[in-house]
Amino acid sequence: MGKSTLLKTILGFLPPISGEIKLFDQPLGQYSPRELAKKIAVVLTERPPGGNLTVEQLVALGRIPHTGWLGNLTEKDRHKVQSALRLTNIEQLKTRRIGELSDGQLQIAMVARALAQDGELLILDEPTAHLDLINRWEIMQLLRRMAQISGKAVLMVTHDLEQALDSCDQLWVMPSGRGMLGGIPEDMLLQGKLDLLIPDSKLYLDKESGKICATKQVRFPEITGSPSLKRWVKNFLRKTPQLPIRSLHVEDDPFSIQIKLEDNTHTFRSFEQLHQFILRIRQ
Amino acid sequence: MNLNLTLSFILGLFLLILLWGLNLSLGAVAIPLGDIWDRIWGEPFPKNSWETILMDYRMPKALTAILAGINLSISGLQMQTYFRNPLAGPYVLGVSSGAGLGVAIALMAGTALGWGFSMIGQGWVLFISAALGSIGVLVIVSITAWKVKDSMTLLIVGLMFGSLASALVAILSYFAEAERLKLYTVWSLGSLGATSWPQLQLFGMATILGLLPVFLLTKGYNAMLLGENYARSLGIKVNGLKWAMILSTGLLTGCTTAFCGPIAFIGIAVPHISRLLFQTTDHKVLFPGSALFGAIILLACDTLSQLPGSVHILPINAITSLLGAPIVIWLILKRNFSKEF
Repeated sequence: MGKSTLLKTILGFLPPISGEIKLFDQPLGQYSPRELAKKIAVVLTERPPGGNLTVEQLVALGRIPHTGWLGNLTEKDRHKVQSALRLTNIEQLKTRRIGELSDGQLQIAMVARALAQDGELLILDEPTAHLDLINRWEIMQLLRRMAQISGKAVLMVTHDLEQALDSCDQLWVMPSGRGMLGGIPEDMLLQGKLDLLIPDSKLYLDKESGKICATKQVRFPEITGSPSLKRWVKNFLRKTPQLPIRSLHVEDDPFSIQIKLEDNTHTFRSFEQLHQFILRIRQ
Repeated sequence: MNLNLTLSFILGLFLLILLWGLNLSLGAVAIPLGDIWDRIWGEPFPKNSWETILMDYRMPKALTAILAGINLSISGLQMQTYFRNPLAGPYVLGVSSGAGLGVAIALMAGTALGWGFSMIGQGWVLFISAALGSIGVLVIVSITAWKVKDSMTLLIVGLMFGSLASALVAILSYFAEAERLKLYTVWSLGSLGATSWPQLQLFGMATILGLLPVFLLTKGYNAMLLGENYARSLGIKVNGLKWAMILSTGLLTGCTTAFCGPIAFIGIAVPHISRLLFQTTDHKVLFPGSALFGAIILLACDTLSQLPGSVHILPINAITSLLGAPIVIWLILKRNFSKEF
């Protein structure tokens, strides 16, 4: 919903459709491309070509706005490159060619490159889009750490609401057909501003977990026992066909699930056993 | 620049000078290297005819080979980086065909435009028409590149413009007078030996003019390795770079094609060879490296084409293709293009 267009406008690639963008109290149009590059560094979704570059060379490309016409690195530039490699913990990858890196490593290297560019603002367009869970988490941690250590502002576009709630200080949402809304993420969740992201009544935003859930009600039997496990019992029951379970008791140590049907009681040592049982009696 | 790199460049320069000497010495009439060495220090040749052979024929030819080698390789490298395509090169993207069309119009439709033979002989008419032709094709290809992001589509569009230009040339040939048609046919075979000293001056000046943007924009080409959007975010004026690339490659390919005819494979193969040998993507190294290898390879091809000791001279295009085609095939088969590039 226009996120990329917004980013491109902030980056000065596109002129604003209306209004004016100011960066450090100066209109964006008054910056030369090079001055702007010294203020804003960017990480995009696209995997960059140029697989023959080493990680170090890639990070050094971030110094381009600061170097002379041939792009020779000074002592200061070299220092910035090294500290960017150190901060992102990828010094051991320095001599690897970027064509050989995993998606996650490459994205971290791209963050390092943006750090080396040394702007006050770091903009990321869905930097975790094609990453697996661990890499996603690592990048988010890295970005938070960067923001805290270096005092740089990190502006990031994401589709992942949970991730945003987990890690951001300020959240803007762009619901379709409305203007942008912004604020502290926790406020926005509790004040129902995030509900605007949900297009119809089939889904709702669970205020407790910050997750989007189906509106469809599931009737649960009476559940007793360990409170920390109840959540997972519900999670399991939501996915299984309805059974005439009168009540359910779950025990933590040792793990056991006891269900009371109309006439008798069954005990299981794992969800797997319960699952097998349900399959059997449905036949 | 580290020691290894400096050493390779010194080695390359040495090889270039050696080949240059060999190129001057070999041919239908062999002139001993020692005599050429003495001649450089002002001692006249034992035979008067050697002076004519060397100064009026072999020296301009060797210089042409060096200039053409530099120009084509630098054009190829610029296009490969700008279009982010390992198969880009003046020949593939139809730039050479555009230059060919320009020359064909100058040579065969010249009467209609009021140019006599004498003007054509001066070289600059050929040069300007070839440069205009190649810049024209590049502008069209760039507009297409701007509309379609897919580089494969771009190559196909380039090939189509190439065949379009050939079709126009065919129509021109059909209506051209026999004498002019012959002039064009001979030109299109490609030859390094047809440049006179005044033409060489023009060639040299066009080369320097065409290389200027390359010196000024080396950093920009490095930024382009990350793609257009990242380059822009690094403060590079991508649009300016595009026009500099178009003018530079148009001028370099244009003047080379005008004076030597269309020469295949150097433009596409040499940048890959220098990437492989220097193991880098840094254009500070690749531009001089490609220029050096381009000069060496074309000079070597020319030395081979004059078949030492024989009166026959093979067309230069046959030699570059014989050498270049296997290199390109090997590159495609052996190396992982998208990763190595």
